[in-house]
Order: sequence, then structure tokens, then C-alpha cells
Amino acid sequence: MKVGLFIPCYVDALYPEVGVSIYRLLRSLGVDIYYPEKQTCCGQPMGNAGFQGKADKLVKSFDELFRDFDHVVAPSASCASYVRFFHPKIAGHECEAAGKTVDLVEFLHDILKVKSLPSKFPHKVSLHNSCHGVRELGLSSPTERNVTKFNKIKDLLHLVDGITVFEPERPDECCGFGGMFSVEETGVSTKMGQDKIRRHMATGAEFITGPDSSCLMHMQGIATKQNLPIRFIHVAQILSNGL
Amino acid sequence: MSTQHAKKANVFVKDTQVVDRHDATFWAVRSKRDTMAHEIPEWEELREAASRIKKHTVTHLADYLERFAANAERNGVHVHWAKDADEYNAIVLDILGEHNVKKVVKSKSMLTEECALNDSLSAHGIDVVETDLGERILQLLGVPPSHIVMPAIHITREQVLECFRGHGIIEKEGQKAADSMHGDLKTLIAEADPTFLTRCARYHLRENFMTADCGMTGANFGIAETGEVVVCTNEGNADMSTSIPPLHVVSMGIEKLIPDYESMAVFQRLLARNGTGQPTTVYTSHFRRPRSGSEMHIILVDNGRSDILGNVDHWQTLKCMRCGACMNTCPVYRRSGGYSYSYFIPGPIGINLGMLRDCEKHYGNCSACSLCCSCDNVCPVKVDLSTQIYKWRQQLDSLHHADPMKKTMSEGMKILFDHPSLYTSALKVAPVANYLPDWLTGIAMSPWCYGHTMPKFAKNSFHQLWKKGNL
Amino acid sequence: MNSQKTKDSILSNLRRNVRETYDKPDLSFAKLEYPDPVAAFIKTATSSAGAKVIEMKEEDDINDLIRTAYPNAKTIASNIAGVKADKDPDTVKTPQELDGTDVSVVLGTIGCAENACVWIPQTMEQRAVCFICEYLVIIIDKNNIVSNMHEAYARIEMPEKGFGAFISGPSKTADIEQSLVYGAQSFCGVTIIIR
Repeated sequence: MKVGLFIPCYVDALYPEVGVSIYRLLRSLGVDIYYPEKQTCCGQPMGNAGFQGKADKLVKSFDELFRDFDHVVAPSASCASYVRFFHPKIAGHECEAAGKTVDLVEFLHDILKVKSLPSKFPHKVSLHNSCHGVRELGLSSPTERNVTKFNKIKDLLHLVDGITVFEPERPDECCGFGGMFSVEETGVSTKMGQDKIRRHMATGAEFITGPDSSCLMHMQGIATKQNLPIRFIHVAQILSNGL
Repeated sequence: MSTQHAKKANVFVKDTQVVDRHDATFWAVRSKRDTMAHEIPEWEELREAASRIKKHTVTHLADYLERFAANAERNGVHVHWAKDADEYNAIVLDILGEHNVKKVVKSKSMLTEECALNDSLSAHGIDVVETDLGERILQLLGVPPSHIVMPAIHITREQVLECFRGHGIIEKEGQKAADSMHGDLKTLIAEADPTFLTRCARYHLRENFMTADCGMTGANFGIAETGEVVVCTNEGNADMSTSIPPLHVVSMGIEKLIPDYESMAVFQRLLARNGTGQPTTVYTSHFRRPRSGSEMHIILVDNGRSDILGNVDHWQTLKCMRCGACMNTCPVYRRSGGYSYSYFIPGPIGINLGMLRDCEKHYGNCSACSLCCSCDNVCPVKVDLSTQIYKWRQQLDSLHHADPMKKTMSEGMKILFDHPSLYTSALKVAPVANYLPDWLTGIAMSPWCYGHTMPKFAKNSFHQLWKKGNL
Repeated sequence: MNSQKTKDSILSNLRRNVRETYDKPDLSFAKLEYPDPVAAFIKTATSSAGAKVIEMKEEDDINDLIRTAYPNAKTIASNIAGVKADKDPDTVKTPQELDGTDVSVVLGTIGCAENACVWIPQTMEQRAVCFICEYLVIIIDKNNIVSNMHEAYARIEMPEKGFGAFISGPSKTADIEQSLVYGAQSFCGVTIIIR
């Protein structure tokens, strides 16, 4: 199985350790990983700002870079979702690579069907179910809908030794990032973030974790500004801890 | 790069107490809705059915309208057609004029709000009395609704008391209201007791029901097969408005049509459960014929709806039944309040309907969405609300309303992301930003710094780590 | 303002703007059903709907039940044969005459367990009687209680007078600070007599 690693722009620049974790984790699971060096971004920042047309070249080069892999894995639910659902719309046709692009949780849970992990994380974490993970990729059942409850992220975290997983009250309410939303609607975005962090902290967790670095970045920016005693960690870092 | 919505919302969020109460109020409604959804095993099938019935009806709307009108006329109802708000208001004035109407009691209708009917009637000397309690409070205060189902939720009980006092309602009806509760008038006033205030309004409105010349209602549904309209309320004000005065005028948007009773059952089950988290509205009233000795008129209003049908991206807004569930779940609506939106319908559906009404006036609402997609999942008729908002954003540039800063940023991103070598070298210098003192970046022009500290660039990007083989 | 012209232009604009048509969906999916609809109806009626329910026994007298439920009622209005009433909605000259009614007694033809709705067809001259009173008494046969609204809509009949309403409990409002108040513009309480 040949897997292409897609490390979105801001993970590349701000959270390379998340990429490293995925690399190590997938290697330990016997996956062949490649990292096409000419990759940049999924194009979502432009799309959310109202300029998805400006992502046309990028969409094309993404497809060229990744179409020969069996799967494309990204450590960010929102970026994976944008590639999968929006690239074909921007291109105006089916995109081979987009159809194979998954978020890390989907890859581990649905494709590799991982049933055990040697990792350890003796901490209390509060799980951040990010919007696009829940409502576009289906990583967990949306609270709005009357469907059987499930949570793939939680399933994976429960494979880790020593971990205690909490979910906040309003378990899938938006944290208020929304890309350009956070700079355009500063007041509401910040308030949403503050409310979300407060509910995560009320669980008694030491860490807020999730499959989407962008939500974590947003909440971390707010928590740091307010000196809140809470730490942030990507799901990949927990799953690969102690490998 | 603040939009009209953002500017108002930034003021609204400053009062933490107000915004937290607003958020908690509507979250509670959302939670009640969830409870209702989970009590019905076939909930998701109902939503799918509702969506498909509406898709079917609006794509056969001309046929259904003809059938509806023919049946209504056969039932002895007068049917009128209005292409826009002006025509609609003129028709109402005509009917009221013919009957020499001086006073109208009116139950809540978003369509009359859309067409500014009350202003038109008042300008012609007709006394319009809103009979939904929330709407009446707003009417007496002279302010617009902040939500389509719970229009006066932002008004405090003390404000209601002051308002009623100012209009002589407490003086006139207070004692009777207190007696009906076996309570002490002074205490009830001091506490601004909601039951007391509701009773005062009850007696105040009762007098208006008794003396009105005409009752006006909207229509939640029109049933083509029978030519009847269905009006849903909790207060019974639509029934009071229509069972006493000798004239009933129904204002109905043409998209309110459904085929038959079988379809009606689907919507009846969804409307209140989604809107307020109740298993039903208290009243689901079916009006098929005029009362004996009285007249019934139905005005079918287009006002842009037939054009919306031709809009590839937005025609599905015609499925909306105005339950308000998308507002209640919207994290942005809950934290910015109805008045931050320029259109009288706020929240996700309001952003879309406002743009369809007049994009020049309402493009400033398009920012009020974090694209969390919660609205798509509550909507009982599956309107693709967030997708539509995303699409509006794509159109803003061609409408010349794109934010110049966002455009510059997007152009910058394009250059950066289209050129991998440029992107990689930019990443190499990025960590320099970390060495700027926090107080400097903190007051930097970037709006990000309003609520956030700047994220720290890693010493080595993943790209660099990969190249160096440091994984 | 030419109504026919407007009508034609709306209809032709609608026809012109349809691109793709959709069929009416099949609604035969399984729906919520209660093993004991009467018990479920009573539970819903007395909880979320906020009504009172009396299960009438063979030996009960309807007028005694009404009297016991509303001992202070001075004016009762009804056109039901056998119900003692002070006002008759069939013979009052104006609906206004019914104002001041303490208790109205009406017949319901279908009850629905999932939401405590009862279908009240207009079988009287002045339907105001159903709404104008302080308290409403609804009489319904237990054999006419169904589980869900699909069954209810399949069974209701529109009376000759052309009006009917599903009513579920007393009129309510929560427009003032979300606090729930019974008795907005219509009746403040409901008693359902199941016979």
C-alpha cells in the first residue's frame, strides 16, 4: 500500500511535529509513506474567503502530485474534507487524488482497521470533535441527527494505554475558527473559542485533543492570550506516543 | 476587514451577560429539539420525505397553484395573486377598503413583515393590532423582531412592564389580571411577573378581538388538493383573529404549498419539534371555507419567489418552512443576536434569503458563518444552507463586494501556493516572526490578534525536516 | 392591478424556471406506533401538552364530570346534546356574545398519541366557542385515538362548515423571557374526557 502524506501549509509551518507523529505512526503500522515535496495547501483559505477560483492551479497540481498513491492521508479533517469534496467542484470534474484523500482517523479506523496500538498516554484529554470531521467526513455522529451514536476518534484513543477521554458539554459545537471567519468576525469567533475552551476545561482534562490542527491552533491562540492552564495536542501525537 | 454584521456583532458580544443569556436561551431550544428528534425513530426518514415533498411541489408549483386556487374558489374563498410587495399591499388595502375596515387583528406572518404591510396599513389610517404576544410587544415598542419564531426573546420582562405601563395597559387591565391569578397587583408589578404581564396582554388583546373588523393571518401551509390553508400557533391568536371578525384575509407565499393531507402529516410532525422543541403547536388550524356570513380571501404572493426557482444555486431555499431551527443551532446567531443581521430574517436561512432579496443591501451578512454545517443537519427540509453561504462568498467579488484585504490575501496565497519553491523559502524565513516581542505582534494590525496570540512558527517546517531526513 | 395578468405571469415564470422535476416521494416507511395509544395519549396530554384527562366510566354522568372539574364555572357553552349549557354556539347572534364563557364543551373526533392533538371539527355555528372560553372541555371516544399524525390525517374529515383544528392542551406562550405561561389569547386550561 503506497500512501502519500499531505501536510497542509499551516501544519507544515507551525506544527511539523504533527506530521512527524503521523509519519512515525504509519511507519510503525507498516505503511509505505511518501511525501511529495511540491505540495503546499488544500486551497480552503481562499475558498472560505470567497476566492475558490484562485485555487484552480493548486487543485490541478495536487492531483498530479497525489493521484498515483493508493491513499492520501492528511492530519487535518477540514483540509482532507476540502480536498475530497471541493477539489472536484473547483476542477469541474472528478479528481483522482481527491477521491482517495482521507483524514488520519478515517485511514486508521476505516482503511487499516487498527484494533490495537502500543502507545501510552497516561493523561486526561477532552476530545474536540471538529465540525468538518463530524459533519463532512463523518468521524462521529452529529448530535443534530437521530442516528446510532459513534465516534471513530474516541475508538482510536481508547486503544491508547492509560488515557482518559472526555467530551465537553455541547460535544460538537463549533469552536469558531472557520478560517477567514476568525479574522473577519473577530468578536464572535473569539467568544465561540472562549466558550469552547471553557467547556473543554470543565471536563477536568489536562489536554484538548482533536484530529484538526486548525481548531487547535485557534483555541490555543485564545487560551495563550488569556493564560488558561490547558494544553493542546493533536490526536496523531497521542496515538504515536511512546512508539 | 469587518463586515456590517461583524461590526454590529463585535458590539453585541461585548456584554457578556447579554450574549451568554441569548446563547443559553437558544441552545436550550436546540436541545429540546434534539430530544424531540430522538423520540421519533423515523426522524431522518421524515426529514428526507419533507425535503422530497417540497422539491416535488416547488418543481410542479404552477400546477399545484392552479389546483389550489381552483379548489379554494370552489370552497367560496376569494383568491388573489400578487407579483410583488406593492401589489400585495394594494390588494390588502382594496379588500379592507371594500369592507370599510378600521381595525385589523393580525397573527404573526413573516410575509407581511417582508412586504412591510403594517406600515402600508398605518399610512392609510387602519389600526393594525398584532396578536402574537411577542409581536405585540415589539409593535408597542416600535422595534423589529430579532428571531422569526421567538421574536421578542431579547426583551426583558422589565422592559415589557415599562412598555405596557407606557401604553396604559397595566392601568387598564392590571387589576383584572392580578385577580385572575389571585395575586397582589403591587407585588406582581414589582416582580414584573411574566404570567401577570401575559394576562394583561390577554385582556388588552381580547378587547381588540371583539372590536376588529378583519382578522389577518399568514399560512404555514396551503394544501392543493383541498384548497385550504393551515395556520399553526401556540397562543390561539390566529383562531381568535378569525372566529370573531366578519372578514379573514390570508397572506401566503406561493412556496407554502404542499400536495395533500398525507404530506401535511409529515410537516405537522416536523414543524414544532424543530422550531420550539414541542411535539406540536397547540393549534394546527385548517381553514377551508369562510365562516357563515363572513368572507375569506387568500392572497398568493410571489415577490421574487418564482425567480428564485430559476436560481441553480439557491432554489432550494423555497423548501424552507420558517421553523427557525437553523437560527437556534447557529453558533454565530446565538452569539451575535438578530439585530446584527441587516435582513429581518437572521441566521443561516436569513443570510441566504437576504441575498436573494437584495444583495447590495445584505452582502454584509455573508461573513456570519463559520461553515460549521450544523444548520444543514437540523433543517427539517434539508436546505443546503452552509453550501449556499459558501457559494454567495464566491460571488461577492463579481458583485464588487469582496473585502479588498481578503482579496489581497487570497491573491497572495495563490502566488505562494502555486509556487512550491517560493512557498518553501517563505517557510524558511517565517520563524523570524517569533522573535518580535509579543506586545508588538499583539497590537499588530492583524485582526487575528484581537482574541489570539500569534501562533509560533516552528524552527524547522515539516518540509525542512523531511529534506534533512530528521523524521 | 390585473389579477388574471399577474396570475398568468407568475405561473409562466414558474414554468419557465423549472429545470429538473422531482417525483412525489413514497411515504410508506414505518412510523412510530404505541402498543397502547390511549395510555400514550394520556401521558402526552398530561405532560407536555399540559391538559387534564378524565377517563369516563360507564356509570359517570358527563354533566357531573364537567361540574366537578370546574366547580366555579358560571357560564358553560356547548351545542352537544345532553350537555347542560348556558349558551349555545348555534343560536347566539354574534360570536362576541360568547365572550365571558367560563367553560366550553366540544367534541373531538380523532386523538393523536404522539402529540396529544385532538381534531375538533367545526360542528357549531360559531366556532369562537372553541377558543374564547377560559377553559375547554373536549370529549373523545377512546376508540378514536391513534398513534401518530399520519393515521390522524388519514382519518379526519372536514365538516361542511369548512373549519377544523388540531388542539393540544391549553394556549401557551413563552414570549416573555422564555417563561412558559398557560392561557395566552385563548383558553387557560383543557380537560379531555375520554369515554
